[in-house]
Amino acid sequence: MDQLGATLLSAPILFFVLGALAAAARSDLAVPETVAKGLSLYLMAAIGLKGGVEVAKTGIGPELLSALATGLVLSAAIPFIVAPVIRSFGRQNRINSGAIAAHYGSVSVVTFVTASQIYGNSGFAIAGFMVAVLAMMETPAILSGLMIARRDGSGRMFDPDVLREVFFNGSVVLLLGSFAIGMAIGPDGFAPIEPVFKTGFTGVLCLFLLDMGLIAMRRILQTRSLTLRLAGLAVVFPLVNGMIGILAGTLIGLDPSSAAALGILCASASYIAVPAAMRLSLPQADAGLYLSMSLGVTFPFNIVVGIPLFRWMAENLGKII
Amino acid sequence: MIKMTKRVRLEILVDALFAPRLAKLAESAGFTGHTLLRTTSGRGRHGEWSEDLVTGATVKYIFLAVANAKRADDFMTAIAPMLESHSLVVLRSEVDVVRPEKF
Repeated sequence: MDQLGATLLSAPILFFVLGALAAAARSDLAVPETVAKGLSLYLMAAIGLKGGVEVAKTGIGPELLSALATGLVLSAAIPFIVAPVIRSFGRQNRINSGAIAAHYGSVSVVTFVTASQIYGNSGFAIAGFMVAVLAMMETPAILSGLMIARRDGSGRMFDPDVLREVFFNGSVVLLLGSFAIGMAIGPDGFAPIEPVFKTGFTGVLCLFLLDMGLIAMRRILQTRSLTLRLAGLAVVFPLVNGMIGILAGTLIGLDPSSAAALGILCASASYIAVPAAMRLSLPQADAGLYLSMSLGVTFPFNIVVGIPLFRWMAENLGKII
Repeated sequence: MIKMTKRVRLEILVDALFAPRLAKLAESAGFTGHTLLRTTSGRGRHGEWSEDLVTGATVKYIFLAVANAKRADDFMTAIAPMLESHSLVVLRSEVDVVRPEKF
């Protein structure tokens, strides 16, 4: 309960709630789109750099490799777990099921960044190499989602435009690129740029989460296709997937904070890389549906409830196993 | 008095992600150029939408081009399969242009 209270009263979460309340009240509060885009680029560069610098300190070990492999498998497998549920309980067709499933197999960078900051501030720091796992988990789910949606053989599975979006999506390029730069420059090279990428990080995260609160709530208010069943699934999926991630992370020997981070990655749903890839490859899928579920329901749930919950789960599972 | 010539003006509301595909089809149809205009928000059969550069999935452009009737017809035929699946909103009108050799 203490963790839940501390999370809810942290500045980034309070800014997120402020944004959501402002949107619910139909306030004209808005973060200019280009500013929001700039903030997201800053956060991705900063988290990539910090992760790379941490790995430069510790080196590439078996723990990193096993975490990468586990992330890859989980990202590819989760869509196959959730798609049948979306199809049967959620009453969606094959194309919508594949598109939504791809979102739940992929990851939310902002959820990870927020968890990383909140955990770090309370002495529960996530291993730096988890940034590489985050980048690794962005794309396999897209291919799984396409396989589910195109089981009948319709459409081209590997359209060049889609593959370019999958592998050279801006967020993937920036995350991996800044991670590589962080590894190359190490702690000494990072010191001169630290004031920009570390000191201002929490403040920028607050502003970005303010915008995400506005976006998430407006997405809910604007949607016409989100049913109660699908909204329920958007809460159940992060709980189940998060538990799978924490269990897998603990079994491969990750420390509790990194196992919690793997849980958060599995619980989160993409709203940057995957929506673009799905619009390109499955234009018939209802974008309002998958964005409402991932951004309107799952993202706020993970930010407010998931972050403290997965920490509690990882800490207690670590004591048992 | 400047001499005016009839041409066809096409305005297409398109997801930003599909704009490069439209541009390629326009080029194949012989269009000499086009312009992409940013949009901020709107409302359609599926509800409201607004520019959102963070997710990028609901960003829409207006694809604006002017061409002679033959090229415009070829282009319309090429995009016909995308009309429903890609939710294109297509407006076609006749306009007077100066320097017709540019279109």
